[in-house]
Amino acid sequence: MSGENTDFLYPFIDAQETDAAPLLADLASSARGKATESARLQAASLEEWGPQIEEAGRAIAERFAAGGRMYTFGNGGSSTDAETLASLFARPAHGRPLAARCLAADQAVITALGNDIGFDVVFSRQLMAHARPGDIAVALSTSGSSEDLMAALVEGRRRGLLTIGFSGHDGGRMAVAEEVDHCFTIRSQSIHRIQESQALVGYRLWATAQHHLEALRKGSAS
Amino acid sequence: MSTVHDVAAGPSLIDADLSADLAGASLALARRFHSGATLWVISPQWEPHAHHVAVEFVHPVVVGKRALPAVALVAADTVAETRIATRPGDVVIAVADAADNAVADVMRRAPAWGVETIWIGYGERPPPGASDHVLWVPTDDPMTPATGRFVLMYHLLWELTHVCFEHPGLLKAAEPECADDVCITCSDEGRLGEVVAPPADIMSGALVRTAEGEEYVDTMVIGDVVPGDLILIHGGAALTRLGEEFGS
Repeated sequence: MSGENTDFLYPFIDAQETDAAPLLADLASSARGKATESARLQAASLEEWGPQIEEAGRAIAERFAAGGRMYTFGNGGSSTDAETLASLFARPAHGRPLAARCLAADQAVITALGNDIGFDVVFSRQLMAHARPGDIAVALSTSGSSEDLMAALVEGRRRGLLTIGFSGHDGGRMAVAEEVDHCFTIRSQSIHRIQESQALVGYRLWATAQHHLEALRKGSAS
Repeated sequence: MSTVHDVAAGPSLIDADLSADLAGASLALARRFHSGATLWVISPQWEPHAHHVAVEFVHPVVVGKRALPAVALVAADTVAETRIATRPGDVVIAVADAADNAVADVMRRAPAWGVETIWIGYGERPPPGASDHVLWVPTDDPMTPATGRFVLMYHLLWELTHVCFEHPGLLKAAEPECADDVCITCSDEGRLGEVVAPPADIMSGALVRTAEGEEYVDTMVIGDVVPGDLILIHGGAALTRLGEEFGS
């Protein structure tokens, strides 16, 4: 049933195979191994990007404190991670709710722009409509090179936004674009492992921003 | 930094028990897909996770892996939408905590819809038997849905499910445990049904949905029924009505 030539990986592959126990043991072992690699990559990513998370978190806090808003965006699974990140800022389980939303969430806007102009502008055109200087643009990508995300980051910079990118592999265009203030590249070849680390780095970014907002509030009160 | 919970990855994001649960859920899901199932995904509190699971299966990130039918259900009335979407043999994945009443209600009705269920969450576990498969993150941290733990869970579910497709001999549906001497319809076993329509008149039965499809059931014993009532059926008659534990 599978056209993939992966039989060599599973020497016991056999249409007559009837005992599921060896497969279940292999699956469980594989799950633990992948989870260990995910944890290793998360730790390595936090180690590599710690100072940048601190710097970006402080900049985010300053912008929110001054009335800025955050716009997140991504494609496919990364669009859902962008929405999770926006929800974290907007409706956190604890901490201060902040004006953040995901630009991938409205199918009327996405399909209108995609159909009438082209998919490359689905996020940049929304920033033209909504963004003001002092706002924040956050792009999530596993390649770092999606045209629609790069167009939005460039547009964001043009309009005075703080621009933040999440990337993977070698970082792609996002990692070298001068329009991107902070680029968090997760150094892995696996899209899944990249997304798992991006989620944790994004969470740390939120926590750092919350911390600095609290510090700003206390600072202005004293 | 009181707002910062340290959720930095420990050495065991997936322990032995959870990895065994993942393996079992993955093989069950692969078997269902092999038989033509659609996967329906609900996450009333964390809608993006429902979309992420669906896109994972429909448009795999690994080139060459087959696209599988998976759909996020995000309407306001989760129970109503899932009821209409599912067909016998399908699978529902919920990403929700155990206190989510809509999800608990879907899980309660799933046997009447003929649907196998997988419940991903964190915090207090659902009661035993609430779902066919429970994939639970062992933490009470309220930030868990935003830290990548769920993403890891359904990524692994997808990866392991595709490994199962390379074992065609193990994908055949398990034979129903129905020997000649013990058959569901002639044993004492009650089947769960959900009322679709009450009896049209005093001589008729109620139209009821069960795992086998729709059938008319004599409801004389339990009296008036309304759509959505869960009932236990034996030998073509409703024996009892299940209480409304969660409302719907």
